[in-house]
Amino acid sequence: MGRFNRANLALGLGVAILGLMIATIWVSMDTASGLIEKVRRQVTIGDALAPTAAAMFLVVGGLLVAAFDRDDTAYRVSVGNLAFVTSLLILLFVSLALMRWAGPLAAVFAEGGYRPLRDTAPWKYIGFSLGGTALVAGLICFVERRLSWRAIWVALVATLALILVYDLPFDDLLLPPNGDV
Amino acid sequence: MGWLDYVWLGILAVFQGPEMFSLFGIGISVTLVMILMGFLLGIAVGSTPGLAGPMAMAIALPILISIFGFTPDALLPVMGFLLGIMKGATIGGAVPAILFNTPGTPDAYMTTLDGYPMTRRGEAKKALRVAHFSSASGDTFSDIVLILCAPFLAVVVERYLDLPEKAALLILSLAFIAAVISNSVGKGLISLGLGLLAAYVGTGEDFYPRLSLDTQVLAQGFPVAAVVLGVLIVGEVFCRLEDIRRDRRLKSSSGDIVQAKATRLSGAELRGLMPYIGRSAIIGTAIGALPGIGSTLAATLGYASAQRRYRRSGKTPKMGDGAPEGIAATEAANSSVSGANLIPVLSLGIPGNAAAVFLILAAETIGGFNPGPSVFRQMGDAVNPEMVIAFGLFTCMMIANLLNWTIGGVFMRSMGFMSRIPKHVLLPVVLLLTLTSIYVQETRMAAIWFTVAFGILGYAMRRLGISPLPFVIAFILGGNLEQTARQAFAATGCDPLFLVSSAVSILFMALTASIIVLSLKRPKEAPE
Repeated sequence: MGRFNRANLALGLGVAILGLMIATIWVSMDTASGLIEKVRRQVTIGDALAPTAAAMFLVVGGLLVAAFDRDDTAYRVSVGNLAFVTSLLILLFVSLALMRWAGPLAAVFAEGGYRPLRDTAPWKYIGFSLGGTALVAGLICFVERRLSWRAIWVALVATLALILVYDLPFDDLLLPPNGDV
Repeated sequence: MGWLDYVWLGILAVFQGPEMFSLFGIGISVTLVMILMGFLLGIAVGSTPGLAGPMAMAIALPILISIFGFTPDALLPVMGFLLGIMKGATIGGAVPAILFNTPGTPDAYMTTLDGYPMTRRGEAKKALRVAHFSSASGDTFSDIVLILCAPFLAVVVERYLDLPEKAALLILSLAFIAAVISNSVGKGLISLGLGLLAAYVGTGEDFYPRLSLDTQVLAQGFPVAAVVLGVLIVGEVFCRLEDIRRDRRLKSSSGDIVQAKATRLSGAELRGLMPYIGRSAIIGTAIGALPGIGSTLAATLGYASAQRRYRRSGKTPKMGDGAPEGIAATEAANSSVSGANLIPVLSLGIPGNAAAVFLILAAETIGGFNPGPSVFRQMGDAVNPEMVIAFGLFTCMMIANLLNWTIGGVFMRSMGFMSRIPKHVLLPVVLLLTLTSIYVQETRMAAIWFTVAFGILGYAMRRLGISPLPFVIAFILGGNLEQTARQAFAATGCDPLFLVSSAVSILFMALTASIIVLSLKRPKEAPE
């Protein structure tokens, strides 16, 4: 049997407190009915009961982790993990922003803007091609820790393949971001 | 309508469904073609380290729904394709383990122990033949058990369990999954609680959608595909990318396979393997029938059981040094989990693993088939269309088994090249594919952002040693659990103690408490 572990203690107590806050603040303030409702002498289960029960699972689970889990089940989120997630989120944000806005930006001088063109080639592919290529190539380069032409070629081929799979055979499917713009 | 009538209708639904083309004047139904395509794709996916059956099922689902639409006719082709992937990926997983010492999935780890030494001895093809034979045997056995048990269990549940008992059974199943799936029951409950909480955002019976923070984005609730794919697929992609970046394991598997010795398996060799396959198939099927217990445990137990028997026989080489019996025991055990995993799905509506989650997702998206005990309800002279679909699915599984026995081995042995695709190139493409497939279903960028957010949650859960599977299963069952509890509460005359209102429900709740208490006392295993 291993020893008590501070990582487990922190995780367990943190989740238990989060569960309590969810039950007492979020659920109670963001549901229209309580745990049990009485409508015309009829007692029914209110909308708050199920999420409160879910939050209680968090509380019980957190307390069990804090009280019973030992060294051998301890996992930590390291500074390296946080740095990875931050870099990943920046990369995803830039790629998805490119996907969302490249088409409308390219069509800024076109008559009527992007909306009438969003189902017309090549306009409908601009955002997806640029954003998709940036996402795939960016991630490959990020993992390889170097820029490479191969990453860009792979990304271009993958994006093109997805256009061939999703867009060409189906008239009713919209590639991102053409359903939003 | 008797049971045999439904069996026959199920077979006809598969063979006489919408025709895709005609061969020598005989119409070939689209379902048959989809099973074949899914099966071949599954083998290719299983042979590729970094990909897995559930990933391919997740990505294929929106494309399939776009092709077949939301009509009842779509159920068998779509689910046949998904079942094909599930079965193909099961046998494909042995390829990289044997050829390159790379377990694509945790359950293939034991296969490397004897598979790779055989490859190094020049017996790669023989090892692959052993893996295929054992895997196909285990899978077929498991399917037969499923076909015999699921309808029986469903009838028992439907006949003897009322609403309070069903609510208690759902709670018992969720607690069981939370307790056994991870190394810590507390972490299992955390995963469960988060999944339930996500299920309740933007839903409810009041006019105001609960937990929506008064925003339009949350008022619609989280898209099911975004949550499931985010936590299961995107979270996994993030973790693996980080591992590769950290370890700089950028080189793909390389090295030519030398095939120096005989590749055939003699009748005597097959007979020698049968006791190992039989024992592992029973172990795998028993484990698979319990929701939440994965194929890794089945493979480990199957291998350990075979090891004891093999040691007594005094054969050489030793297990772990390239004994075909080791491959046979592992592959039969992990493959026999897949069919049995559908027993709780079809009889109780409770998904036991990731593949089952996607089958339920397909059924829910298309409509007209709600996996659960009502599927096998007899309706007098009227036809229960859900039971026809259920027996159609069993037919699909047996056709996939037939394909496995006939062309599976040849196709599997030709898939060695898939193991050479570098993971760090493949995973970003999988990510883009997942995000695109979610967008074409939901057609709003918010769904992509939700997927990324749930991907980060899945990543964090894995890094903290919290299994994401209870989260996904709770998310899928959350609505059903609440609905059943509301109905049970009303049906018992607003009895607040409805969960302990009968002997059966008391038994289920006592089992729930026992499972959690016993799990706290269970010796902890080293994390995988």
